[in-house]
Amino acid sequence: MNEAIKVADELEFLDASKVSIGRNAFEELVVQLPDGTIHTKVEPVRSFPVSETTRYISLLDNEGNELGIVEDVKKLTPNSRDVLTEELQKRYFMPKITKINSLDGQFGVTTWNVETSQGDVEFGIRTRYDIVTLESGRVLIKDADGNRYEIENYNKLDPKSIALLQTQM
Amino acid sequence: MHGPMSSSGRGRSHRMGSFNGKPRRKKGNNELTTKEEVPELLQKQAQGLLEKGEEIKIAVSTDLRFDSTYGKDWLLVTDKRLIAFNQSGVLGHDIREVSLTSVEDIEILEMYGNNILKVTTSENAFELARYSKRLTPKFNLAVSELEKLSALKDADSGDGGRGRGGPGAGGRRRGRRGNGGNGTQPGGDKSRCEKCGEPIPSWSGVCVNCVKKSKLIFRLFKYAVPFLHVIIPAFLLMLLIRFVAVLPPILSKELIDNILMPVGTAVSTNQALPETSWGQLQGIADTLGGWFGSMPLGGSFGHLIAIIFMMVGLRVFTMGTSSIRGYMMAWVGQNVTRRLQNETYEHLNALSIDFFHERDTGNLMSRITHDVSRLRDFVANGLQDIVGDTFTILFMCTFMFSYHWKLALWTLIPIPCLIIFTIFFGKKMSKVYHVLWKRYANISTILASTIPGVRVVKAFAREQYEISRFSDLTHQVFTGEMNAAKLGTLYRPMMEFITYSGSIIIWLVGGWQIFQGDLTLGILFMFQSYMMQFFRPVYTLCQMNERFIRAGTSAERVFEILDTPPSVADKRDAVALANIRGAIEFKDVYFSYDSEKDALNGVSFQVQPGEMIGLVGHSGAGKSTLINLITRFYDPNEGTIEIDGHNSKEIRLKALRQQVGVVLQDPFLFAGTIAENIGYSKPGASRHEIIASAKAANAHDFIIKFPDGYDTMVGERGARVSGGERQRISIARAILKNPRILILDEATSSVDTETESKIQEALERLVQGRTVFAIAHRLSTLKYADRLIVLKEGEVDEMGTHEELIAKDGTYASLCQKQTELSKIRAW
Ligand SMILES: Nc1ncnc2c1ncn2[C@@H]1O[C@H](COP(=O)(O)OP(=O)(O)OP(=O)(O)O)[C@@H](O)[C@H]1O
Ligand SMILES: [Mg+2]
Repeated sequence: MNEAIKVADELEFLDASKVSIGRNAFEELVVQLPDGTIHTKVEPVRSFPVSETTRYISLLDNEGNELGIVEDVKKLTPNSRDVLTEELQKRYFMPKITKINSLDGQFGVTTWNVETSQGDVEFGIRTRYDIVTLESGRVLIKDADGNRYEIENYNKLDPKSIALLQTQM
Repeated sequence: MHGPMSSSGRGRSHRMGSFNGKPRRKKGNNELTTKEEVPELLQKQAQGLLEKGEEIKIAVSTDLRFDSTYGKDWLLVTDKRLIAFNQSGVLGHDIREVSLTSVEDIEILEMYGNNILKVTTSENAFELARYSKRLTPKFNLAVSELEKLSALKDADSGDGGRGRGGPGAGGRRRGRRGNGGNGTQPGGDKSRCEKCGEPIPSWSGVCVNCVKKSKLIFRLFKYAVPFLHVIIPAFLLMLLIRFVAVLPPILSKELIDNILMPVGTAVSTNQALPETSWGQLQGIADTLGGWFGSMPLGGSFGHLIAIIFMMVGLRVFTMGTSSIRGYMMAWVGQNVTRRLQNETYEHLNALSIDFFHERDTGNLMSRITHDVSRLRDFVANGLQDIVGDTFTILFMCTFMFSYHWKLALWTLIPIPCLIIFTIFFGKKMSKVYHVLWKRYANISTILASTIPGVRVVKAFAREQYEISRFSDLTHQVFTGEMNAAKLGTLYRPMMEFITYSGSIIIWLVGGWQIFQGDLTLGILFMFQSYMMQFFRPVYTLCQMNERFIRAGTSAERVFEILDTPPSVADKRDAVALANIRGAIEFKDVYFSYDSEKDALNGVSFQVQPGEMIGLVGHSGAGKSTLINLITRFYDPNEGTIEIDGHNSKEIRLKALRQQVGVVLQDPFLFAGTIAENIGYSKPGASRHEIIASAKAANAHDFIIKFPDGYDTMVGERGARVSGGERQRISIARAILKNPRILILDEATSSVDTETESKIQEALERLVQGRTVFAIAHRLSTLKYADRLIVLKEGEVDEMGTHEELIAKDGTYASLCQKQTELSKIRAW
């Protein structure tokens, strides 16, 4: 009887040192894989957009097929890393809320007036299911238009913000 | 709760009698016996048939006759023969006699609503006894004793699959009596109480007759014991509060008699202030009064102020202590709730699947929430209220009698009325509320079934029907509430009237006594205020019985969960098989979910470690059942399942389940993220592993296309992902834990053929070195299977490789052929 294969061993990540990621004149991502093939218009996708922002980045070719997974952005060569990080920041915009100024609720829609790491903003939330609290105290918010916001740890907000937030959870 | 189910109603002669009219409970006569007292007449007749020294070994009575009327026939068995008395005409009996040696087969024909015991000899067959399902346990026992007597047992187990009787006439032979293993028997007759044999109301799930309230309530105390250090002070505080609460009328009496009246009369008649005989309190009043000695109206006004201060003081004191005490008891109550809930939930998790199949979710949920909080109320408030109210009444009576016993006697006249009235109304009210409670429950039931089933409702355009069903229920609630309101609005004024009549009596009798100079105005006022205070404690005390019953029922419902032993449980000496190789052998396994219809009927086969087995068969053939036995969701009724040569019942459940990965036919996802759902099978699984197993299940590609990737919330029961996606997530979940035995029950039935072959390719490497059971209706799914097992009506019909089975040209071959034909049509 041969030993059963471990599932985890079946998964191979891209060899980060042999991947190079750059941009072409059209601002598109160009990736050269370890096997030497070159792909343009590559889309980087976070496998865990919420819980893991710099690891397990899947690279999709222009048809949506996966070219491979970058296990950790940090393992890439500095150039590639910068390009990828910049691209990801563009694709995933999720400001961190630092202070809640006011909450106005009417018939289920709540208007939030907040200060974020990227500046002040006002947005509306349609249902309380769009506010997800994780065990760590992290709060993920999706507004009525599909924009994302996060609170890193709601226990660390100022008391007034916490009180306001608690009315929504 | 313990022991075999459906052992109800033995030793009962007139079955119908127990349904109508008064329940008749014969305690101690409930023992399952196959040696009943035979009526003399029959005994005489039987004696004529017997040889010398022949002894009656079994005597059982039926409750049905062959002419389909209720009545008692008899079956007697000696060591030589069977004798059946079947009544014909008014008094006469058909007597059938069968010699034991000629008996070839004894079977129980399971019919609809009744069973027939049939005996076959080499020449002919006799239907000897007919009985209703209630007597099933008795006759099962009788038959097994009979088998012993006739030495038939061995012959019978030789070929279990004989299946005589077949489906003809709606009857079916049951190869085995599923009641063998005690706790193992799932289902059974939960409609009747095991102790008293009375039907159990389905809303409660607990026999109302048999709830031994006192015992249960005593048991409830166990949960209060750890908090006695708070309960006892709170109790003492309560007594103090109750005592203080009856003091104010005495103060007002003092105020009137000793301060206001003298002043009033002194003003008009210039009399001296009368001496008071009021010891200590007066002393305090004096001292307090002394402080106000310089007041214009002298000592008396000082007394007034003092007493008013005392009144305020008492009030403030009761308020303060009441809230402290309330807080203490709330703490106790919540602690009891928490402990009970945690304990119940923990036990619920230990219970086996059959427990959940027998009861609805709503019922179980209400036990953990509703019933537990009722118990909390009882522990925290109910009991103390009862004691407290008794004390309040005692205090009041003591004061009244010590001040003026004659008037006290008069005052108490309306009290019996009050009691009778309250009890009478209480009963009515509780009936009305009981009905209401059920009606409200109906509303939640309908909501619980239609909201999750909303797609079906909409797809069949039955909204209007559901709306009218719902509005019927709300109408019922409306009428119920109005009935309650009718009673309620009647009750209050009536109560007030009785109380009022009490105060009229006091005015009348008291007034007369004042004329006689036998009573002071202050005492009259004091009595009036007590009269007003009487009402509440009397009311609660009258409700006492009701409260006990309710708490008792709730306790029973909660304790039923706690007392049910898991039917599939670890034996004490169970082995923890750390590394299962994956050899599986079924040895003549019988299993039935409900002991009426066999789901597996003598299944035997052997699987080598690392083999991939395809399970094929018609819907309902028993494929999922077979798998339920491997994972030990259930244990077989008879026969054994061996895993690596160990009887599966001897393997520690946890060890077994840790090494078995299952994808159920109807995959269930928890509300949470995809990553959480995949990782559920292996606590602490790394993201690396999660991605790897998702890849193997061909799920990775669709997952990363969700904006939230692996962090996507799948919704309740995975409602926000498609059926095929749900299946792939649950395949990933099963693979992740790296199981030695992998079970795929229709795991890819909802994905398209292309995705399926991708999954198969990924799995092909993974299944190596594991024992795999794959069930599929789409036979192409099983192309990698080493061997196929074809099940048919709970039996193994064919077994072998694809080629062998095709060559055999049996069930499998014809299934295959039909599917290829079908695919040709499709291709065209
Ligand atoms: N929980 C249950 N309680 C009572 N009877 C059950 C239960 N589950 C299944 N059965 C019955 O047992 C028999 C075998 O069911 P099983 O689920 O094993 O069929 P199956 O072969 O898996 O069918 P399918 O291909 O439709 O999934 C069926 O007649 C079914 O009605
Ligand atoms: Mg099935």
